[in-house]
Amino acid sequence: MGYESIYWEDVSEGQELPAKSRLMTRTTIVATAIATRDFTPVHHDHEAAQREGAQDIFLNILSTGGLIGKFLTDWSGPEGELKKMTIRLGATVFPGDALTSVGTITKKYTEGGAHLVDVDFNLTVPMGPHAWGSATVALPSKG
Amino acid sequence: MSEGVYEKLQAMVGEEAGPFESPDGVNRPMIRHYCEAMEDGNPLYSDEDYAKKSKYGGVIAPPQMVQAFCMPPLWPKREMSDPQARAVQMMDEAGYYGVVATTTSQEYFKPMKPGDRLSYTIKLVTVSPEKTTRLGTGHFITSEYTYRNQDGDVVCIQPFTVLKFKPATG
Repeated sequence: MGYESIYWEDVSEGQELPAKSRLMTRTTIVATAIATRDFTPVHHDHEAAQREGAQDIFLNILSTGGLIGKFLTDWSGPEGELKKMTIRLGATVFPGDALTSVGTITKKYTEGGAHLVDVDFNLTVPMGPHAWGSATVALPSKG
Repeated sequence: MSEGVYEKLQAMVGEEAGPFESPDGVNRPMIRHYCEAMEDGNPLYSDEDYAKKSKYGGVIAPPQMVQAFCMPPLWPKREMSDPQARAVQMMDEAGYYGVVATTTSQEYFKPMKPGDRLSYTIKLVTVSPEKTTRLGTGHFITSEYTYRNQDGDVVCIQPFTVLKFKPATG
């Protein structure tokens, strides 16, 4: 089918996920806000964002979750299954920011028959860390 | 004054509201629109032939999309009174008008398939004692969203923490 997945047996603790970067345009910020059905004005209305004390419109939290999920399953392939993620929130993402995603496998284990890895991830913008935390992904097993 | 609001908030801990219904439930057009914006090419979300052969037997929604399905409509406006919103309003009235989301988390229990109807409840879980942070002095308020499908199965549990604070430079 042309869709590759990573097997649990082929990863190890300490392994880094390939880093990814995406230019977050004004269109990206608005498109992701609306696709997540978040109509809060600070995510699409420049004047409203400035009235709230922000320099510009900024990425909404639902989209941060969406981008982390994508980052993880882009790496694992479609047989990888996101089980859980915990996200700490820092700097906001403004139009024109490059958003860089990195991740490291911190734990490889089995639980209840599932083959799991814990991944620490960090999404950063030029101003600093935007979102960081830990996720659990179930990977397919050769066994 | 600040102790007064803290005590009132403590008394609200454990209060739950809902269920609130997802306006559209799980559907292919919203999944496609979401994946388009995220640039998520996972074939489980878009390729029926691939997804049919997967353990799901068909296309599923991205698990992290659960809250998007449940966002209240812009129009007609819903009258919603939930303990999280009331806690935030009480903090505003007590002068803690700054707000910043600090932590969110999601754990997934069931895949979401087109045709699924979703709803959620929201519960106030904890209110921290007053803390001094870089932003100012305030309280961390944690709520928990529980999303269920039409069979009553829990799809996702999502704790969400905000800091309500008196801005340090204010």
